[in-house]
Amino acid sequence: MYGETSSIGTCLEKIKKLKDYSNITPELLENLERYDNGSMGQEERLAFEEQLRSDADFKTLIEDIRLTLLGIETQALKERLEEFHKEIPEIRPVEKSTTNVRFLSFTKLAIAAGIIIALGMFWMFSGSSNDKLYSKHFKPDPGLPTAMSSSDNFAFYDAMVNYKRGDYKTAIQKWEQLEKKAPQNDTLSYFLGVANLADKNADQAITYLHKTVQNPKSVFVKDANYYLGMAYLKKDNTEDAKKHFKLSNTANSLELLRKMD
Amino acid sequence: MGHVYNIDSQLQLLDAIKDNDSVVLKQLYINNYYKIEALVLKNNGSKEHAKDVYQEAFIAVWKNVKNDQFIPENETALQGYLYRIAKNKWMDILRSPSFKKTKMIQHELNVLDKSIDQNDHEKDEEQEFFEKRLKQTMEAFKNLGSPCKELLTAFYYDKASLRDIANKLKIEENTARTKKYRCMEKLRQLALASKK
Repeated sequence: MYGETSSIGTCLEKIKKLKDYSNITPELLENLERYDNGSMGQEERLAFEEQLRSDADFKTLIEDIRLTLLGIETQALKERLEEFHKEIPEIRPVEKSTTNVRFLSFTKLAIAAGIIIALGMFWMFSGSSNDKLYSKHFKPDPGLPTAMSSSDNFAFYDAMVNYKRGDYKTAIQKWEQLEKKAPQNDTLSYFLGVANLADKNADQAITYLHKTVQNPKSVFVKDANYYLGMAYLKKDNTEDAKKHFKLSNTANSLELLRKMD
Repeated sequence: MGHVYNIDSQLQLLDAIKDNDSVVLKQLYINNYYKIEALVLKNNGSKEHAKDVYQEAFIAVWKNVKNDQFIPENETALQGYLYRIAKNKWMDILRSPSFKKTKMIQHELNVLDKSIDQNDHEKDEEQEFFEKRLKQTMEAFKNLGSPCKELLTAFYYDKASLRDIANKLKIEENTARTKKYRCMEKLRQLALASKK
């Protein structure tokens, strides 16, 4: 293998002495390639290995070609890394949505419902200021950390990378493909909702987010209600916006509720 | 080249790395960057430092995977390995006198082959010679004319077949074979000519 520096060491003196490097023939190069990718027949392979053992000059030459090949691959990889680096999303993944385990207890739900009914009686409306409030407060969910592990769905995180880069249209396209296969998945519907809202499709966002909140066990219920509130705010539907902010009951939602009153 | 969309195991990941599968390499690269950036930023470094140290570590990991020097022990072993190598590289830089003085890093490739399980003792002459030649080859390849560079990258890095390359360039397969050989000769002459 090319990494074995020790075997190269033994030939060091020879490499230094070897001046004529042009004595590589196309045949030699191809034999080495076939040997390395395992496509050589057994007889030929044994002969090749025998020559490596018995012919020190041959061995030196082979090691030297391998070094060239390693140089090509390493430099090519280095240049690819530069390209990959440009694709790292600017927005830092905030771990908040996974580290805090959130769930909506039944009592909280009941209290929230009670508040809604009570407040529903004297809800006023704030009219055109809704749009301003929306633009001032809307921030897309930071997304999930795209950690790769055995059970994770690669396609989902692939789209998450697009989402974090602000390329909502691509993310939506990819997630929609997955959604067809898993229409009940609350994580998918949640991010499809937020991505659509960020992409200014409030109606689509509302459809997806409603799917998420239909699953009361989802860890995204509070956030989904918050974004539902934002989506209704965007559509200047004060009543429904307030309803979902109440359901969400997060600090953000409560702040918006205060400002709406 | 089939892309691996579901990474079921580290072994599959390793195979994809050996194939230089760009989807997998990109994902691995992007997913593990922030942890290193956070570490470097917290420890007197800049984003530029983080990028340099991370890329060096990434190449070192890639090389060790290629040479079967890395054997995974659990399902996130490779990611942990990448982190540890990058972290050690950054610690080395922090400890180096040149960093303390100038806070600049000019160490590009000389740390490249140092894997963490190797001791930090003086590199022997052979290894130094090997690394010097490797560096010369990389530099020569970097500056190789683009037709040759593209052909050699397609064949040796992307593992495309000669037939596919020939089809893409609209030439005969045998012509592509000859070109590839000529390009190799050119690269090797360039690498030898450089005196660094």
